[in-house]
Amino acid sequence: MALTATLKGELVDDFMRFLASWALVHETADEGWKAAVARGGEATSGEMGSGPEAFVDGLSAMIAEEKERLKAELAAGHSEAPGSRADVSAKLDDLTFEVSELRGRLESMQASLDALNADPDEA
Amino acid sequence: MSARSRKIVAVGARRFLAGVWHARFGLCAPACRRAAFARQVRLACEELGPAFIKLGQLASVRPDVFSAEMVFELERLQDSVAPVPVDAIREVIRADLGRYPEDVFESFDPVPIASASIAQVHRATLSQGYRPVCGEELEAGAHVAVKVVRPGIARLIREDIAVARQWARRLDHIAALRRLSLGGFLDEFERSLHDEMDLRNEGRLADRFAYDFEDDELVFVPRVVWRHSTRRVLTMEFVKGWRLTDISEAERSGVDAYGLALHGAEVFMRQVLVLGRFHADLHPANLFVTPDGRICYLDFGISGRTEPEQRIAIAQVLAATVYGDADRALRYSRELGLVIPPDREAAVRARVDALLRVTMGGPGPSDVRGFAMGFLSMLADFKITVPVGYGLLIKALVTVEGVARRLYPAIDIAQAAKPFATRLIAQQIADPAQLSLRLPAAMRAALRELAS
Repeated sequence: MALTATLKGELVDDFMRFLASWALVHETADEGWKAAVARGGEATSGEMGSGPEAFVDGLSAMIAEEKERLKAELAAGHSEAPGSRADVSAKLDDLTFEVSELRGRLESMQASLDALNADPDEA
Repeated sequence: MSARSRKIVAVGARRFLAGVWHARFGLCAPACRRAAFARQVRLACEELGPAFIKLGQLASVRPDVFSAEMVFELERLQDSVAPVPVDAIREVIRADLGRYPEDVFESFDPVPIASASIAQVHRATLSQGYRPVCGEELEAGAHVAVKVVRPGIARLIREDIAVARQWARRLDHIAALRRLSLGGFLDEFERSLHDEMDLRNEGRLADRFAYDFEDDELVFVPRVVWRHSTRRVLTMEFVKGWRLTDISEAERSGVDAYGLALHGAEVFMRQVLVLGRFHADLHPANLFVTPDGRICYLDFGISGRTEPEQRIAIAQVLAATVYGDADRALRYSRELGLVIPPDREAAVRARVDALLRVTMGGPGPSDVRGFAMGFLSMLADFKITVPVGYGLLIKALVTVEGVARRLYPAIDIAQAAKPFATRLIAQQIADPAQLSLRLPAAMRAALRELAS
């Protein structure tokens, strides 16, 4: 019993240690990531080509921007998935444009028709 | 032989002799020889009038058919001719809209504001409000630009094309000119001109462009008044603003020229790489800067299309070019239809690499135009055919650089393109379909690295 308890204790300790290591690695990586984003954000557009470090910084800044956009989209409930509000809204916009385009064509045809009716000799 | 045929032959012969003289009787370098003849061809087109000016304009977006020197010379063609008397224009409007312009519009200015080979433009005001396809309603009294096809131009062009066709048949017997397939080019020209003379096509493209960029506050496209538009009459919202030649005046009024130049390049890339439809005739005369600091696009006569699978390859070629990676540029160019024979591959790569170093990797701003000229000349030297869409795209990209430089002379278009190209490629890499293809190879490479 005592042995089992000791083993259990060690296992729990190891597991805690594993989680602590994971948290430490993650935290370090996260700090590195945040620093790269900050450096990339401060760089001008031409600096991205000046070496691999600058490229990674620039790319990190762009990914961070994209992440913020995604967060905003998710918060607003927008998603491009079929059937989602954004998808239906995009389809509605396309359809509205097509109908308006068709109206434009009809108006133009009506103008030509009126011209022919006004001057049948032209026909 | 008709009088017109005689005139065409006389101008052609005179310009050919002038070309021989300027090319030092063929003794100067091939590029200098090609440039000398290209200049004479441009002058001949300007001298021969509308059909030839249009023919030259079409040739100027076809580096797959003509030499780089010819293409870049013909883009300088001046499409400005003496206006037609206003009474002739009034008759066209009456025939197409059933009433004279004074009865259609609240006011109609008899003095044209522009006069080109196919059409001329008059200013007018709307007598009633109009709800356009895109954007807000145009109110009664709004200023509009009425574009009217010049009377009799269709017949004139048909006659000129018939003469040009006779000569194309004769010239096809000359081995050096057979590769140009002049007859085929004239067929395409006739189709393109037929589309351009139907002004409704331009109106539809303008509406589509306006819809595509509805969410972009810096892009402005004039609204079309379809009620007063037919095959030969196009009525569009009148735009106040500065031509790109007057950009310093716009800057004095607070317009951010650098921001607009950058944005213009991004708009073009969005057209090519995301929407798949692009304005392929973006010369400075077709652009305005509005007083509220927006770019106004006009004249949608020539447009190009890109398919989804092409867009990935175009993004890769673009990124490879701006990052100076010759290998990658050629690899993805193959996917766009560029066929490089295996025995010439190493030589082509070396030339592209050198060209990229000189034009894109130098200490100063990148030179996209220089790169395109050198690249197309190199393909001609190696007798490699340029695919149609590929040529149109290269030409359009050079034009975008030219336009951006008009707005802001010190702009480096390749540097400006880097973030957009990188973001696009990152999106493509993150695409699940692409990831599933690449992941096994990436895992194998990682394991090999660990094992060593």
